[in-house]
Formats: sequence, structure tokens, C-alpha cells
Amino acid sequence: MFGRDLKKGSAELLVLSVIEARPRHGYEIGKLIESRSRGRIAFRIGSLYPILRRLEDRGLIRGRWVEKPGEHRRRFYRLTPEGRGFLAEQRSLWEQFVATINQVVSVRRV
Amino acid sequence: MSDWAAYVRERLHVGGLRPECEAEIVEEIARQLEDAYEDALRRGLGEKEAQADAAAHITDWDALAAELRESPAGRMPALDLLVERAADRRGAQQGMVGLVAGIWRDFLYGLRLLAKNRGFATAAILTMALGIGANTAIFSVINAVMLRPLPAKNPSRLVLLGWRTTARYRPNLRMLKFYGACSMEGFGLGPEGHVESAVYSGCSFSEPFFHEIERANILSGAGAFVDLGTTYLSGIGSATTADAEAVSGSFFHILGVKAAAGRLLEPSDNTPSAAPVAVLSYGYWQSAFGGSRDAIGRGIQLQGLPFTIVGVTEAGYTGITPGSDYNLWVPLSDYARVMGWPPGRRQDDPREWLLTIIGRLKPGERRAQAQAAVSGLFGNQMLHGATPLFIDAESGRAPSVASRALASSGGEPELTITPAQSGLMGYRGLYANPLYLLMAAVGTVLLIACVNVAGLMLARANARQKEMAVRLALGAGRRRVVRQLLTESVTLSLFGGALGVLFAYGGAHAILSFVGNAQLAAVGSRGPIHLRVLGFTAVDPRILGFTLVVSLFTGILFGLAPAFRNARVDFTPALKEGSRGATNSAHAVGKWLTLGNGLVVGQVALAVIVLVGAGLLVRTLSNLRDVNLGFDAHHVLSFGVRTPPGLNGRQWEVLNQELERRLAEMPGVQSATNNTWWRLLMGVARSTLFHWPGTPADERSEADELKVGPNFFSTMRIPLLAGQVFSASDFELAATDEGAKPSQTPVPVIVNQKFVEQFVRKGNPLGVRFGEHGPTSHGPASPGYEVIGVVGNARLSGPRERMRPLIYEPSRGSFFELRTAADPRSIVPALRRAVAKVDPDIALFDVTTESAQINQLLFRERLMARLSGFFGLLAMALACIGLYGLLSYETSQRTHEIGIRMAIGAQPEGVLWLILRQGAALAIAGAAVGIGVALGVTRYLGSVLYGVRADDPLTLLGAAIVLTLVALAACYIPAQRAMRIDPVAALRSE
Repeated sequence: MFGRDLKKGSAELLVLSVIEARPRHGYEIGKLIESRSRGRIAFRIGSLYPILRRLEDRGLIRGRWVEKPGEHRRRFYRLTPEGRGFLAEQRSLWEQFVATINQVVSVRRV
Repeated sequence: MSDWAAYVRERLHVGGLRPECEAEIVEEIARQLEDAYEDALRRGLGEKEAQADAAAHITDWDALAAELRESPAGRMPALDLLVERAADRRGAQQGMVGLVAGIWRDFLYGLRLLAKNRGFATAAILTMALGIGANTAIFSVINAVMLRPLPAKNPSRLVLLGWRTTARYRPNLRMLKFYGACSMEGFGLGPEGHVESAVYSGCSFSEPFFHEIERANILSGAGAFVDLGTTYLSGIGSATTADAEAVSGSFFHILGVKAAAGRLLEPSDNTPSAAPVAVLSYGYWQSAFGGSRDAIGRGIQLQGLPFTIVGVTEAGYTGITPGSDYNLWVPLSDYARVMGWPPGRRQDDPREWLLTIIGRLKPGERRAQAQAAVSGLFGNQMLHGATPLFIDAESGRAPSVASRALASSGGEPELTITPAQSGLMGYRGLYANPLYLLMAAVGTVLLIACVNVAGLMLARANARQKEMAVRLALGAGRRRVVRQLLTESVTLSLFGGALGVLFAYGGAHAILSFVGNAQLAAVGSRGPIHLRVLGFTAVDPRILGFTLVVSLFTGILFGLAPAFRNARVDFTPALKEGSRGATNSAHAVGKWLTLGNGLVVGQVALAVIVLVGAGLLVRTLSNLRDVNLGFDAHHVLSFGVRTPPGLNGRQWEVLNQELERRLAEMPGVQSATNNTWWRLLMGVARSTLFHWPGTPADERSEADELKVGPNFFSTMRIPLLAGQVFSASDFELAATDEGAKPSQTPVPVIVNQKFVEQFVRKGNPLGVRFGEHGPTSHGPASPGYEVIGVVGNARLSGPRERMRPLIYEPSRGSFFELRTAADPRSIVPALRRAVAKVDPDIALFDVTTESAQINQLLFRERLMARLSGFFGLLAMALACIGLYGLLSYETSQRTHEIGIRMAIGAQPEGVLWLILRQGAALAIAGAAVGIGVALGVTRYLGSVLYGVRADDPLTLLGAAIVLTLVALAACYIPAQRAMRIDPVAALRSE
């Protein structure tokens, strides 16, 4: 429902946030973002996967193949210490940004 | 859908990633699509819908692939990409193209391996670069000095005429002109006087013979030239000197030399009645006339004789003889006039052997044909002409018809025709031996480098045994494996060669500038040869070709042994056992180590040979430097003067005395003197024959003679041992005209100590008279000489000369020596002013210091000592690196064994000794072999050595000991590493 640009700008923040608590695999990350946003933000695998690769290249997350009994192996991503720092920083920036935008946008004086 | 992986593989083409990385991506995306599919099924979609739902997650596969390609992780190295592409094309190619593609693939594979083994690759490439670079550098110098084509059109068709005769016949000549145009035999002076040569040869001919050759129409053209030396040139600004040559009218035409301005000499110029003309060299035209066309038609005076400049030779032509650097040329017919010959002496006298003759072969004719034709002419004219030019040494008559029948025994004089390119020697004669010796030295260095890299390759081949076994087991042919390994070694050597060219570029420039800076005094020639005429271009296709061939050859040479080793691998045990097992099996140890050890012994031996050679040459130089010259060469400035021609003896004497006085008065000059004939320290001497009292009447004794001016002994600091030095009246007497001399007064002479030892022996030398004789066919009666003084021995010709008896006669000369208080060079400007004050028409030439002159004389020795010393050190370094590499490698292979030894009680010192012992054994074995070979090889150095024998034990042993010690130091590092092995860690590593 949100535009492509909005989504693109915040995608990394969203991915990092959902694996903050514990490692998750690729499809799970997408589903979680969708459910937490109550279906308003949905990533297709084709767009999410390159984001994961990029984050991993930058050393912010790290993927590891995990095989559970009775299941195919899946790649689980977790935050690296750098990723954790980056997330904290981005989160605070985001909050300031939202607050600032709100200050401007919510004033309806002419 | 059951196989999402296949689904993804079919659609996603990332490319450029490592295969394992690409597989991972496919798997992960497939897994996610499968999750999505199962999720859809759980949401209650039908199978088809669920599939469509999952598939909708990725619609633009190309965009996805593009995004993934940007990820740096997993990207394949560029080299591997090339290999992959080469492999992709493999199937389509067969035959020659397939082979080339295969070698290209091997090359790329080799590059990839080298990129992975950077340490090995760096060591091997550097080693090869040093070896190849040294060879390319010396070859560049040889190319510039020896192989440079003559400055003529189509020089391969030019031939040089020469003659040979045995001692039975000798040339019947009045004068033989020789100035280094070709190599001559039999005319040199040996250390003990005349060389009793079995063969005489030369390339000088008389003018009548040259005209015979011209008329005979055997060659398509013949030209002749003769050196005029340093001539006095006036008419352009202040008086100066110029190096001149007289050439026949056809000379430039035969060479194909063009005029840069005006015209060159023509046959019509070469007649006694023709107006005297001269041709300038391009360089001289530029420096003396600024390249102005007004120079054409101007008049100049050469030795006071008028000449008109008619043209300028093309740029780059300075004379046909290699190293010659002439300023101008005049017609041959002017030779006698310019040289100032007395009226009775004619240059067309058949006994004046002046000319060097060159010719051009007729189109399509071979040298042998021309040789046969000219020989016939020679036989008739030279032996049986009106004036026989060779005479029987015993009878003094021309060879008779009967003796001609003996010609089959090879006793008769013969004419030779050689290619001018190799026959015209010039300075080449001076450099040939040193350069080929150095080439041998760098060749040996390259061999060491090859052996060194072969050792490295062997060690690595060992580590790659398993890889090779896998290749062979998978069906690769042995030929295929050999090709792979050879391609790798050639790749290495090509890199080494490329780097070597860079080294060589710097090296050759350094050598040639060293050569060029030394204005070498050419022994036996007319004067300093200007080496700036050496051309040197780094990007010479011949040099690059040489390097390429050497690189390929060495690559194959050092790759061959390891390659065949590896192709013979018995792959079953190699595959079964671990890496340690494979190398430590008794079979492997026996073979590998023997070869490895052999390589090291070979390297050490080769290095000893190069070191011994270098040691001998360095000692030669140091011996020559330490030679007691017998006079003080420091702080002496020397130069020659040319006075205006036409002065009579008296006028010249007055002018010379005035010069002496002015020079001695110059500030900074302590004393001044002069001598006749030539500059001192030129490597030349003049000898005289005389009768010594008490010997048989027809016996002639021989000594060197030198005419010296006043203050010679004090200026040169040659000690007077007995008697007195020349007085003013002695010089007065010497300057008196021949006819006015008192006929009974002997010439007062001063002799050196050697003269006294050899002739006077016991008794008082002072007052001894010798050399008087009655009138002979050669000249009038002579009152001979009387010894008035004895001076110390002095090597005035140069340090290499053997001390010979020497007679000093009083006479002023035109070669001056000034002893100065400070650096002699600093007074040169003042010197020019002082000389100009005496007479502005006096020209100075060859201004130099005696110390510089000694350096020039020793130039070859300095060049050889310096370069061979450098290459000797290089050889030693390479051999030590080889030894170090082998021991390091073996120590690392024996870690386990050493661990066990230490675990069961071996002391670290024992381990150290274990490794050192092996290194020492190898080094000593190599040194012993090296000494043996060096004994056989160094005798070829004999002719260039001085004061040291070719089998000098001190040098031989010294080189061997130095090398062994340095080698032991190289062994110490791996030995110490072995000593520090922790037995527990060593055993656990298994």
C-alpha cells in the first residue's frame, strides 16, 4: 500500500529490526514484516533477497545454514555487532525524522 | 512443485560468481520459494494457485541477477573468469586451434596458481628476472658495440681486403700504416721485444695495388681510406684540431653514404691536379658552422694547406670503422701533402702500405668467387711485379717460381676477403674479449637462476603430487600433465623475462654510460676513440627477441625436470597417503632428495666458478692500481699542441721555449715539461735498435726510446740515480739542423735502471758509449750515444707494460706535462689563455690529467672487475638462496621426524647440527666441484690477467671458502627453525 520509494528507503531498517531479537530465515523475515505491519508492507522474495545479500556484504548481518530435524536446511540471518550498532543509530535517526516530519506535516495553519 | 531448485536454476543466470557461491544463492532462493508455496497451500490455495502465488514473488529474474552480480562476495577472480571462458570454448576447437586454446587455458591456469602462491611466484620471477636481466644487459652492450651494422647501405655486401703470410716471407715495405682498422698479427711488440710470429697478417695495401683492384673489375666497386690523425685546422675562428681521413674518390659512393648538404667526394677530386676539397661530418658542420649552408664553398686550412668545403655527410656517418669519429675527409691524393712528407717520398710508392681497401661484391656473386679472382691478381702482381711486395725472409728476394710450387704447403702469402662487418675491427677489438667473457659470466648466472627455480619447482611439484595423481587418475595423459607444468614454468620465466628487460634497461644504460664516460685510449690506435658514437636503443627488436628466446629456453630448461618427475608419479600411493606420507616414503626420499641436492651442489659449483673469475679480475685491477709506476702521476695535466705549419726548426724551437716559460710561470703550476711522439700513458712505446759494444758486429740490441724536453725528470718526479740531467746545451745541440751537427759528438742520453741492469751490468754506466756505426745503406754514419745519467725505472706507457730498457734523448716535443699544486683541471682555462698569449694560432688537443689517463688505460680492467664482481655476488646470492630454499623445504617436511627425535631425547643443538651438517656437506661438495671446473675454465682468462695466475690458489680457495661460509649462514636460518620445533605440536599436527 505504501509506495516503492518509501519502502525502499526503510527496507534495511525493517529487516534489521525483525532479526534483532533472534536469527530468522529469509521467508520468515518477509512474513514477519508483513504481519507486523498488518499486511500494509509486504516484500516479495525477489526484492528482499538482494537486500539480505547487501546487508551481509556490509557486515551488518550474517547468514548461516541451519538444518533442523525433518526439515530442509535454511539460511538464518542474525545481527552482527556492527549491525546492532547500525540499527540503534538508524532507529534513533528514524524517530527524529518522523518527529520532524510530523512537526511540519501536522500543523494545519494557513 | 517438487523441484524449486531446478526452477530457479533455469531462470537465474547471475554469472561471474564462484560456482559454490552461485549454488548457494540458487538453494536459498529455492528454499524461500518453497516456503512461500507451502505457506500458500496452508492458506488453502490449490496446488496450481499456490505455485502461481509463490512464482509471483520473483517476476523479473534478470533484474534480480543484476542486483546479485553487484554483490562483491562470491565474485570470481578475473583470472578464473578467463579460464572458465576458455574452457567453455574448448569443445568447439580441435587441431592446432585447439592446441593453442589448450595452452592458453594452461597459461591462465598457471597464472591462477601463481597468484595463489605469491611467495613462490615472487621468488621464482625475481630469480629469473635477475638472471635474464643480466644476460639482456650484457647482450644489449654486445649488440651496441659488436653487432651494430656498419654505417653503409647494404653492409652485408661490403668486403674488406687483407693479406696473410708465414714467417718465411715478409712484407717488403717501407712503411706499414696501421690504426686499428682490422686485427693484425705479428707486428706487435712483445714484453721481450719483437714477437717471433709464425704468421703475419694485415689489411694495409699500397696505392698501386688499390688501383689494380679498381681496374680489375672483380668487385662492383672498391674504395680505400687512410687515417690522417689529428690535424691542425685554421680558417674558421681560432685555430683548432680536427680528426681527418683521406678517402678515395669512389669511397662514399661505394658505401652509399649520402650528402646532407653540398656534394661528397668524387673520383674527379682524387687526382693530383684537382682543386683540394674537403667534406665535413654532419656533427662537425653543426658545431663549427651551426649547420649553415654558407659553409659550402668556404675555404679552410688543413695543416696550413688550403681546402674548399664542398659538402657534408649525412647525419650519423662518422667513419666506416667502428668507433671512428672523423670531423672531415679529403681526397686520397692529398695524403702526402697533408702529412707533410718530404719531396722524395711518394705515396704511390709500392712499398708504402697505407690504404685499407673495402669493396662491394657484384650482385649475385659470392665472397669465395671474388676471393679466387683477387687471389690470382695478387699472386701475379704482388709476388712477381716490378717491386716484389713479399720477399723471402732468408734470401731477401722475391719468392721464386720454385717456391711458388711450395704454395700447397701454405707457405705463400695470400690475399683474404672477409665481410667488412666482421673484418673492420676498430674499437671492437678492444671490447670483444671482455664482453664475451662477461657474457659467459652472466650465462652462468642465468644457469644458476634456472637451477634455483628448478629446485623451487621440484619442492612445489612435491606438494602438488596429489593434484597430479588426481589428474592422471581422471584420465589426463602424461603428455597433457607435462604440457601443463611446462606452460607454468614458461609463464614464470616470461614474467621473469619481462621484469628482466626492465633490470637490463637500467643495467645496460649504466654500463654504456660507464663506457661512454671513459674516453678510452685505444691501444695502438691514433688516439682516444670517442665512445659517444655508440648507439644504444633499449627497444631494439633484436634485444627483445634475445630475451624472449632466453626466457622460453630457460622456462623449458627449469621446467623439464619437475615436469617429467610429476608425470611419472605413481598415483595410487600418492592418492592413498596423506601429503606427508607421500613425500616421506622411502621411494620418494631417495629420488627427490638426490635431485634436489644435486641441484644445490650444481648451483654452488657454478657460483664458485663465477666468483673465482671475478676474484681474478678484481685482483688484476688491484694489482694494476698498485703497480709502482716509477713516477708521480697525480696532479699532472697533459695535453698536445699543434703549431701552425710552415715553421722551420729554429722558429718552432723558439715558440716551444716560449711556451715552456709561460706555462711554468702560470699560477698553480710547479713545473712544466714536454716530450716527443705521443702522450705518455697511451699504452704505446717506440723502440730503437743499436749495436752494443762487445757484442758481435751484426747483432742489434733493442731498447725503448723517448725524446724528452727540459725538466722532464723533475716534473714527472723520476729520481736521478747517477750522473746528471740534460743541460740547456744538450737541447741546443738536439735542435741543431742535421747537417750542422758536429759529426763526432755522440748524443748525450739518460738511461733507466733496467737499461743498466741489462746492458752495462757491472761497472760505471756513466760515460759509456754505444750505437756508433759507419755509413750504411739506410743512412750516414752516426757517432752513437753517450750515457750521461741514470734514472729510476718508470712505466711511462702504462701500468700493464713490462719494465723495459729505456733511452731518454734530449729534444723538445709537442706533448706537454704540467705539475700543478692543486687539481690540474682547475687551471685549464688559464692554460688556454696562456697558450693564446704565446700565439693565438696554437691549437690545444687532448687536454687531460695523467690520473684520468691511467683510468682510461685501465678502462677494460675496471669494467670487467666491476661487472664480474657484481655478477659474482649475484651468483653467490642466488646459490645461497637455492641452498636456503632446499633446506627450509626439507626442514618443513621433516618436522614430524624432528619432533620424534626431540621427543625421544635429541637435544636442540643436535638438531641444529643435523641440518647444518647437510648444508655444509652440500656447500663443500659444490665448492669442490666448482674449484675443479674453475681450474679448467679460468685459463681462458689468462690474457687479461695481471700479476695473478689463472690457477691462483688464494683466489680459488678464497672464493670457495667465502661461498661456503655464506652458504652456512643461509643454512643457519632453517636449522634454527628446526631447533625450535615443539615436539608436542609437531606430533599433534598429524
